[in-house]
Formats: sequence, C-alpha cells, structure tokens
Amino acid sequence: MEAPPVTVMPVTGGTINMMEYLLQGSVLDQSMESLLHRLRGLCDNMEPESFADHELVYLLKGQQGNPFMLRARRSLLHPTAPWHLRYLGQPEVGDKSRHALVRNCVDVAASHSLPEFLNEMGFRMDHEFVAKGQVFRKGAMKVVVSKLLRVLATGNTENTEPLSLSYLVELSVLAPAGQDNVSEDMRSFAEQLKPLVHLEKIDPKRLM
Amino acid sequence: MVCVCVCVCVCVSVCQVPVAEGKSVQQTVDMLHKKLEQLGAVKQGNFWVDCETYQATGNATGQPTKLLYVMHNSETPLSSMALFEGGPGLTADANFDVLMVKLKSHFQNAKGHKVESRGTRYRYCDFLVKIGTVAMSSSARGISVEVEYCACVIPGDCWNLMKEFMQSFLGSSTPELPAVFTSKAEGLYAPVDCMDTMSQYLELFGKVRKQQVLAGSGVR
Repeated sequence: MEAPPVTVMPVTGGTINMMEYLLQGSVLDQSMESLLHRLRGLCDNMEPESFADHELVYLLKGQQGNPFMLRARRSLLHPTAPWHLRYLGQPEVGDKSRHALVRNCVDVAASHSLPEFLNEMGFRMDHEFVAKGQVFRKGAMKVVVSKLLRVLATGNTENTEPLSLSYLVELSVLAPAGQDNVSEDMRSFAEQLKPLVHLEKIDPKRLM
Repeated sequence: MVCVCVCVCVCVSVCQVPVAEGKSVQQTVDMLHKKLEQLGAVKQGNFWVDCETYQATGNATGQPTKLLYVMHNSETPLSSMALFEGGPGLTADANFDVLMVKLKSHFQNAKGHKVESRGTRYRYCDFLVKIGTVAMSSSARGISVEVEYCACVIPGDCWNLMKEFMQSFLGSSTPELPAVFTSKAEGLYAPVDCMDTMSQYLELFGKVRKQQVLAGSGVR
C-alpha cells in the first residue's frame, strides 16, 4: 500500500508537435497474398497483428471556416480497450520534393464515453466504417493493410459490405516536426514494395 | 499510447472545510495538519488538482453556451478528465490538452477561471488525506479536504468507516455522503470511477468561484 510521494511538477504526455508522414496505395484482393508475403519478409520479425476497427468520423461546424474533423476509433476485437481519438491537420505545403504527405497529428486515448462526450461538445457523426486487416512494422515505420467496409445501418458493425474489391495500403511514420530523413526512408521502403503496390503521396484535397 | 482507462479507483470524499474563526487559510490548514499528525498520519509528498474552463463559441441556436471543464489530478499525471456540469465526462490522456489548443476557435479557454487546489498528502493506514489550499488567480479562496479509503471501491460498503475517520479530525465539518454516489442508477453499490472524484472537486471549485475573495482576517 506504499504509494510513492507525488511531485509538484506535472508529468505531461508530450506536447511536442507530432507529424504524420503518409504514403498510400491499394492492391486488388487477388494480389493481397503476395503483398503480405513480401511484407512478412521485409518487416520486423514478429507475427503481424490483425485488427478489426470501427471508425467514426465527427464534424464540428463552426461559425466560419471548414468544419473541424475528429476521427474516433475503437477495436472490435478488444472491446474493453480505450477509444483512439485522432486529429489530423492540413497537409504541410512546402517542399514539393518531399516524398510523403506530412500533417500535424494529435492522438488521444479516451474512455468509452467518447461518442456521447463528442456529441455534447457539438460534434456530429458524419460517417462511419469498419476497417479490417493487418499491421506490420519496420522500425518506426508502420504498414497497415486494410479492407474498408461500409456500415449499412448506423452503429451496427455486424452488418457490413466491402467498399471495393481492393485493400488500402498505408505506410506511415509518426515523428516530431522537422525530421526530413523520414520521408527518404519511407520512399526507399516503398521502392521495395514495387511493383506489387505503388505507394504515393496523396493530396487529400483532391478527394473532397 | 498510455492506457488510461485502467483506473485503480478507490472511494473518495472531497469536501470544503471553512476557515477557522479569526484565522487565515494557512493557519487553518496548519491546524488540520497538526490534528492528522497527532492521529499518527505520515506526510507523503504533495498533491494538486486543477480545473480549467472552456466556453463553446459561436452557438447558433441561441442556447446558453456550454462550459467544458478540463481537470487534472496529480494522482493520475498522464490523464486529463473533461466534464460538462451535470453531463457526460471523458477520461483521456494528456494529449487531450493539446487537442483543446487545436480547438481554440471553437472552445475558448477562460484563463481567469482556472481553479486549483494544492497541498500536502497524508497517509494513515488505508486512508489517504489531502489537505489543499484552493486558489483562483493566485489568491487563496478556501480549503479542500480529500479523503480516500484505498481498500474499497464500493461506497456503500465503506462510507460509515470513512465518516467515522473524518470525524476524528474534521469534527463538525465532516461531510455527508457525496451526491455523486447517491445519484447513480445503481446507487451506493456501484463501483466508483475517477470521474466521481473529479465531479466532487468540480462542485467544490464551483462553490469557491462563487464565494467572495477571502480577506486577510479570514472572515468569509
């Protein structure tokens, strides 16, 4: 029962501005096995982690400007795990030769009252989907291969249908701002996945 | 990411103790420390609890703007607790504060409204007692006493014991059963969670904000 004395100085979780570096691509269902095989060979030697997540995208409409977007994600495989709330900023405009999409990223772990709390803050759910797939790691790089599924009835994750005949492949790194070698490393890793999948820098604005 | 939802929660009572007649806040706090030390309690570091207020901006519907409170507790230094008064609460990691900065055009931080309680932690067997000076804008406004009974998570099972313990050093300032326990659907036999502690502090801080600034003589 001996609790250590608690100091006056707060321990903070880190207020450094973290950036997400991202490359995306896709692969048809029938080519998935070959991609997984290659990823197993290239990535860190551990069992790839399977996931099945339910993501809800919330928007807060303000008086001016674009609505503020937050992504809330929960695991369908681990229902007691905390929710993951994510804010992604506007992509950094700058060096066109930078190989990856770079945007500010804030990740918050939250309790299960998150959807109710977001509603109370004024956020409204815009859309939701289920993502199922595998996660691979190579050092600081994360490769996520996911099948996106449309949720047919709001909140019912049992009843879903695939959004397409492909898998989404994302190569990402979370690093503090200003680390330019990150996108170089990502580009060389992406080269090794060609021609199975072409990972590129996507401009999210083109998809709006 | 730190898994903040595995809360080792214990039964907690938070109450406000009036400043003693003719004494200052510091003198009253010192008196409480002395009483605890006479009981045999041992000092075990410091604690703090703070509360920041955010106001929702741009409410188009004309309803009164909601106040969002973001609180921190030194017992859980990597967590932030967000609550709406009488509404839902959220336990999150410290990055929630970074998110609130990103949301500044939608939620303004009312900096002058920040209230905090700081003080000494005492340990007496299975009890933890925290005597705090409640301050707003650097001026002392009152005294908070938090009593934790670490061996139990069900208020119904230990409230009488906690009350008896509190009477031994708080006397007539001993509080009644906190409303946060009686207002739950499952009543007194529902296990506590860290939101219950923060709701009690929120209520206390709300009362302190409404009080007038204490004069040096301690007259309220």
